[in-house]
Amino acid sequence: MSAAVLQLIDVYKNFGGVEVLKSVELSIPDGEMHAIIGPNGAGKTTLTNLITGKYPLSKGQLLFRGRSIDGLKPHERSRLGIGRSFQIINVFKEMTVFENVRNAVLSRRGVRLQMLRGITRYAEVTQETREVVEMVGLSADSERLAATLPYGAQRALEIALTLALAPQLVLLDEPAAGLSAAETRDITALIRRTMVGRTLVFIEHDMEVVFALADRISVLHYGRILVQGTPDEIRANDEVRRVYLGYRDA
Amino acid sequence: MTRRSSHILRAGIAIAIFVAMYAGSVVLPKAQLFTLTDVLILGLFATSYNILLGYGGQLSFGHSAYFGLGAYSCALMLLHVPGIAPPLAMLGGVGVAALGGLVIGFICVRRSGAYFSMLTLAFGMLCYTAAWKWRTVTQGDDGFGAFVPAEWVFPLIGSIKTGDLAQMYRVVLVIVAVVLLVTWLLMNHTPYGNAIRSIRQNEERASFLGYDVFFAKLVNYVLASAVAGLAGSLLVISHNFVSTDVIGIDRSTEVVMMTYIGGTGWFFGPLLGSAFVVVVGDLLATVTTRWQLVMGVLFILMVMYAPKGFSGVVRYLFDRSALERRRPL
Repeated sequence: MSAAVLQLIDVYKNFGGVEVLKSVELSIPDGEMHAIIGPNGAGKTTLTNLITGKYPLSKGQLLFRGRSIDGLKPHERSRLGIGRSFQIINVFKEMTVFENVRNAVLSRRGVRLQMLRGITRYAEVTQETREVVEMVGLSADSERLAATLPYGAQRALEIALTLALAPQLVLLDEPAAGLSAAETRDITALIRRTMVGRTLVFIEHDMEVVFALADRISVLHYGRILVQGTPDEIRANDEVRRVYLGYRDA
Repeated sequence: MTRRSSHILRAGIAIAIFVAMYAGSVVLPKAQLFTLTDVLILGLFATSYNILLGYGGQLSFGHSAYFGLGAYSCALMLLHVPGIAPPLAMLGGVGVAALGGLVIGFICVRRSGAYFSMLTLAFGMLCYTAAWKWRTVTQGDDGFGAFVPAEWVFPLIGSIKTGDLAQMYRVVLVIVAVVLLVTWLLMNHTPYGNAIRSIRQNEERASFLGYDVFFAKLVNYVLASAVAGLAGSLLVISHNFVSTDVIGIDRSTEVVMMTYIGGTGWFFGPLLGSAFVVVVGDLLATVTTRWQLVMGVLFILMVMYAPKGFSGVVRYLFDRSALERRRPL
């Protein structure tokens, strides 16, 4: 197996006595697209929050490229190359699409608190921002305030913010949440197109998206990883069919 | 109107206002120059406050601590350091205020919302009590004065007579104008100002994009403290007197009022607010001794019916489309 980009070893997470994650083991090799599925309350978002640094682990080990990142703050993990999106749209609502993406591009280039140069004078930042905006298909809405965008476009902006960091490891938390069938197809194509060369871990309820993107799938059930395998193995697994996929004949 | 011509228009307006105010030093009677000097200084103080509130989204109830630290440090240096030049004492005031902002901010900016406000209130009270009780140094609420040298000599430029109101007014005008210009550029046109506004809008996302939220807030707190310290230094130099008036809770609430009345959504809003509070306050004081009561009612009316302050009203009158876009800082 090639070197794992992300590795979770015997990870536990408790919230005031409630065990949300129990003995989670996960190893994501370079370049893999890995889906995490499971019923509501299984601990999927908590898992994302542990990896990106919103909460500390209760027990276990969290390794990024072989190095422990538990205890690092979210901005430190972001700077190491871990990018994430959010299940509930989480952008800069009173800024334009361009300014939203520029915030990420500035940060990636280490231009965060510079005081001595005008923000428009960073020509390479402006150029790169335009490229990312175009990549996600929002060029026409570039000057619109994020809050005024249609929902589907806000989803694309969520991904644009994550992408603009050029992260090695990307975590997408339900990128297709609340989208129509047509919009879901668009966002799936967008993810497929833009995640080339990156390692992706994503949470999704829409099985079409999962089966279209994932190389491997982990099924999370009551805080434990129930099964792990390729899409075909997961589809064929009786236990998964029973607890999650909900086939009547299971 | 193109972007470029609107830039030129705005620069033209700013220069015209500066020239008119400079010319005012020749034309206006002394009493009004004195009032205008206060407007400028308190306008600078309110602007420093808006760096926290309007840009950073942090409501402080103890900002007078830094105005006061600047004021007392500047005054004490002038009193105790023989032959110190007033500009150097002012820099000292700025430095002490910034240092105070660093130490107190290190604790306060870890909390947000009401907790931040309460912490700043507590530290503000602490600084006030220190100034009030430490009589051997500050002479408490009696204060002390007559520490500014009668004449400052600048090599090559000439000299300034402290007693000459018009000259003092011009000094204050130039310093305030330069600091406002620099601060405006910093807050509205650099990556730094952009980061502060982004963190106000969405702290969580900013941190997941790699911004160190705590550090950025601390830097901003120190910046606001330093500018407040400069305003405090200017006040004691122009009044040639300092007492606990500069550091009390009244001072902290007054600056909240000025900033809200002027409007937090525009860099120059707090300047309008300070002009309104000082000028209308003076006028009311000639009519009634209970002028603060009238001021309080005006403040309530503003908050209820024009929550964006004067700058919101001005924008509404001149640029309705801007209001529809509802674009904050």
